[in-house]
Amino acid sequence: MQKIRSERKADGLGEIWNWKITASCALFLLFVSILAISFGPIHLGFGDIVKTLLGMKGLHGQERTVLLDLRLPRMILAALVGAALSTSGAVYQTVFRNPLADPYLLGAASGAGLGATIAITNSGGNIYGLLPIFSFLGATLAVMTSFFISGRFFAEPNTLLLSGIAVGSFATAIQTYLQQRHSNALRPVYNWILGELTVANWSIVSWSSMYILSAITILISVSKKLDGLLLSDEESFSLGIDPNRLRLLAVGAATLATATAVSASGLIGFVGIVVPHLVRGVTRRVTNRSLTTIALAGAGFLVLADLGARSILSPAELPIGVITAFVGAPFFLFVLRTRRMSHS
Amino acid sequence: MIKVRDLTVTIGGTTILDDISLDIPHGHWTCLVGPNGAGKTTLLKALLGVREYSGSLQDNDLEVFRNHRRNVAFVPQHPEIPSGMTVSEYVALGRAKIDGWGNESVSSRTFIKEILIQTKLYGMHQRHVSQLSGGEMQRALIARALAQEPELILLDEPTSALDLHHQISVLNNIEILKTRGVTVISTMHDITLAAMYAERIVVMQDGKVLLSGAASEVIHSRELRSAFDDRIDVYTLDSGRPVIVAAKDDADN
Repeated sequence: MQKIRSERKADGLGEIWNWKITASCALFLLFVSILAISFGPIHLGFGDIVKTLLGMKGLHGQERTVLLDLRLPRMILAALVGAALSTSGAVYQTVFRNPLADPYLLGAASGAGLGATIAITNSGGNIYGLLPIFSFLGATLAVMTSFFISGRFFAEPNTLLLSGIAVGSFATAIQTYLQQRHSNALRPVYNWILGELTVANWSIVSWSSMYILSAITILISVSKKLDGLLLSDEESFSLGIDPNRLRLLAVGAATLATATAVSASGLIGFVGIVVPHLVRGVTRRVTNRSLTTIALAGAGFLVLADLGARSILSPAELPIGVITAFVGAPFFLFVLRTRRMSHS
Repeated sequence: MIKVRDLTVTIGGTTILDDISLDIPHGHWTCLVGPNGAGKTTLLKALLGVREYSGSLQDNDLEVFRNHRRNVAFVPQHPEIPSGMTVSEYVALGRAKIDGWGNESVSSRTFIKEILIQTKLYGMHQRHVSQLSGGEMQRALIARALAQEPELILLDEPTSALDLHHQISVLNNIEILKTRGVTVISTMHDITLAAMYAERIVVMQDGKVLLSGAASEVIHSRELRSAFDDRIDVYTLDSGRPVIVAAKDDADN
């Protein structure tokens, strides 16, 4: 191993994968996770948290409930959603060869929004029973429709992108119509659109982790091949890839992760753009070999954003989408600007 | 031998290649020439295995459509340029089929370095491919093809949009491939250059093959003139090399 590393340095071609950055992201995630479960209206000591988590005698009573039933599932859900959105964003940017592509590109957001609106307007009170299922169905149906109307399953990226925009607009139109008809649903829909992790519980964590972790595992297992999708279809074919099949697998897995994230936590914007660009900026690599790092960084970023969302106006909460957009929008403009400068 | 028999390619109801039959020998440089719209690029893509066709197209008795068992390098006329990827990463993609994606062996990396030096890209290998000039990008494409160690290389207009200096440099790099026993098939607008480098020339017009044979014979043939509506003149230099230029028709004045 040592020999390989020294030879790599000697050939002057640079390191392919920088494990130090991946390790730093893992440490960052660990650090913000500890912060997130410690801080809040009730402060929990680090030693007591560790003891409780290890099954030893630690916290008890209300503090124990706060840790195990409120903060821990919320922190895990934030990490899962952050990892899902940032990984999907990175994959979408590769598949569509567009640095500003985000996980909601193919109508997942509008589809989920429509599903959520239908759930909220028809639930008669208990909105959280139907909401995740309906928004999940809405997101997957919207993406499948985008694929379907783009002609065939193996569509050109640009055709797929355009049909995604059309499906998104159509779903938003129906959603707006429903909201106009049921004005009492406006507030809950609005809250949901801004993203929220307040409803996190172990049940949501368990089903969303199943889908999100499977999708991320699939994406990381094909991540090295995804570099081939940055080339034309003919070039990637000559390098041993079936571009249509790989694109379908990648978009399918990324959509599963996105739809799950959206149905568990609402629409949290900009994570899918900010995190992949930040990691690629630090690693100075466009290649998808950094997908693991992107997943870890995304998880850490959202745990930190959620901590901000519930701390800034404590004990009141800001929607987490406000925090991510507050950081994300200026960053989005920065990417646009540097991209334009590098092209001029 | 690459055997093309009754090959027809239809895209969106339009017949692009019309019942072509052709033999392309291995180990030589074959150049497809003809006016725009003759079907050269489509034939190249069919030879790669990405274009659906009727009839038969066999390379070493293997049907080529969607066949990943062959090691064929493809150099497109308009490549997708991945922004943010460095030159060495881009060239290293050529090893994907041999070592697996992202798993270049130490010997592959040494090989990549040799290729970068050979194609005069070493020194700019940490630059992003999006920052390369047209000539440098073309060299990077050839370098990636060299890294692939292909049996067959297909090049779509490898010299278009390059100045004369870069044209010669790119063509010399392709010759390196040929000396390694690689079969080269290219399309080329410049018939003079085609005659200078290729051993065999295939003349195409309106989706059909008018003539295929040794470059020296095809250059002086009636079919070549006919493919370009008799609007070319062929001169022979003192060195014996042919020069093909557009004929200026008096009626055009």
